[in-house]
Amino acid sequence: MKALEREPDDRMLIEAAQRERSHFAELYEQNFDRVYAFIARRAASREEAQDLTAEVFHQALASLQSFKWQGTPFIAWLYGIAANVLATHWRRIGRDPEELSEDWEQGGTDEIERRAMLAELVEALLPDQRTVIIRRFIEQRSIRDVAQELGRSEGAIKQLQLRALENLREKLGVTL
Amino acid sequence: MNRQAMADELDRRVEVLLAGTDPAGVEPEPLLAVASELGMLPAPKFKNRLKDELMEPYRAFAPAGASSEWAGASTLAGMVPLFSGKRAGLFPADHRSFLVSFVSHAALIALIASGIFVVRIPTIKPSGLTSELTYPLAGHGGGGSGDHSAVQATRGMPPKFSDQQLAPPVIVVRNPEPKLSIDATVLGPPAVKLPQSSHIGDLISSNIVMPSNGTGVGGAAGEGSGNGLGRGNGSGYGSGFDRGTGGGPFSRAGIIAPRAIYDPEPEYSDEARRVKHQGVVVLALVVDPQGKARDIRVARSLGMGLDEKAIEAVRKWRFTPGTKDGTPVPVQVNIEVNFRLY
Repeated sequence: MKALEREPDDRMLIEAAQRERSHFAELYEQNFDRVYAFIARRAASREEAQDLTAEVFHQALASLQSFKWQGTPFIAWLYGIAANVLATHWRRIGRDPEELSEDWEQGGTDEIERRAMLAELVEALLPDQRTVIIRRFIEQRSIRDVAQELGRSEGAIKQLQLRALENLREKLGVTL
Repeated sequence: MNRQAMADELDRRVEVLLAGTDPAGVEPEPLLAVASELGMLPAPKFKNRLKDELMEPYRAFAPAGASSEWAGASTLAGMVPLFSGKRAGLFPADHRSFLVSFVSHAALIALIASGIFVVRIPTIKPSGLTSELTYPLAGHGGGGSGDHSAVQATRGMPPKFSDQQLAPPVIVVRNPEPKLSIDATVLGPPAVKLPQSSHIGDLISSNIVMPSNGTGVGGAAGEGSGNGLGRGNGSGYGSGFDRGTGGGPFSRAGIIAPRAIYDPEPEYSDEARRVKHQGVVVLALVVDPQGKARDIRVARSLGMGLDEKAIEAVRKWRFTPGTKDGTPVPVQVNIEVNFRLY
């Protein structure tokens, strides 16, 4: 699978963020989707995924000064923090953290890339299509609700939903 | 099957998927496979909310977006004391300081409004490019000094302007009983009258408590060097050079300032663009009689390769030289190179 387009030079961003923490925002923007995807495929719900993702970035920001550039991508360091956060969470709820490493070996990275890419593709949809996707699949609202909110017919909303899913499938397929 | 029928059929299956009653073991069609992955995407505002939460402690004083600047400003506004003495917990209110500050600022505003104190600074904004350039011209200047004190020069009023400087301004007098007492002055146009006070000092210093000549060098007061007062270099007052006041080079009577006639835009450095580093590089240079920039030095640095980019661009500039009585003469100018990302 082709990886998401990334900024090539993590090192400069990291050094800037270590000098001035407000520059961490750039690293956050670059890595959020993949960290969230890493967590989400192992979380029981969206709320749990969001809580754990927040914990990962808080820990990353707090320990940024200790990060030493050795040539490995910044995302690898974030995955390490995410794995620790998940392991701690799983121990707390009685799950075996060993499952994490098994999962990683079974092609976990491909799925993370695909999910991260999907999040970016949703952001890139036309505004009407993006709204329908968010209302239907993230907020799980009915076609009727969405039609009322957007002032369109239910048939039009179903068409938007079809076009949006076709667009996402096409772009995911092209970039695979 | 027409498009509407396809859309209806897809929605029926989406409803089944969202209800969680999709028959297990059946391979979903590609569109439904995509739909099933959408269910775990984060809530639309979560990403920005978390970013705001993470960056909150670094916002008040960081050059971030407009909203965070306002947030920081309002936070600070809640902390500083009022003239009435309310909210004096963090910074104790001193009514005298308010009074001195108010009078000083009112005097400065009056001078600026009268047109005596400053002249118009022309701004060149190359179309569609990323920086803007300004030239401080006639009427500016400055000075600075200090005696290596650990703290800034005490806030106060600068002494009178004079054509001659027999004694530089000092705040902490090392020789309290001189045999010949001479009033301190700063070099500048005597026609410019500043409100006088027995408390000589730097108008914009934040030090209102501790008597200090400032951190500069030269034996007078301020953060610069020379025999003047302020943050610049020279015998005037302010952040500029030579003499006079107001920042920038002093323009002597009869000298017509140089003007840029060819001013290619500086490039952004990759390093600064990547982290959206913005700001102003101030270059001090001499425009020679041939209209070329020489002796370029960085008066205010921005770092991340932008100083070099500014110098690289300004080195290519060509000017109509400054003239005195119609004869081209070398003139020192400051050029502000404003790096902004749009």
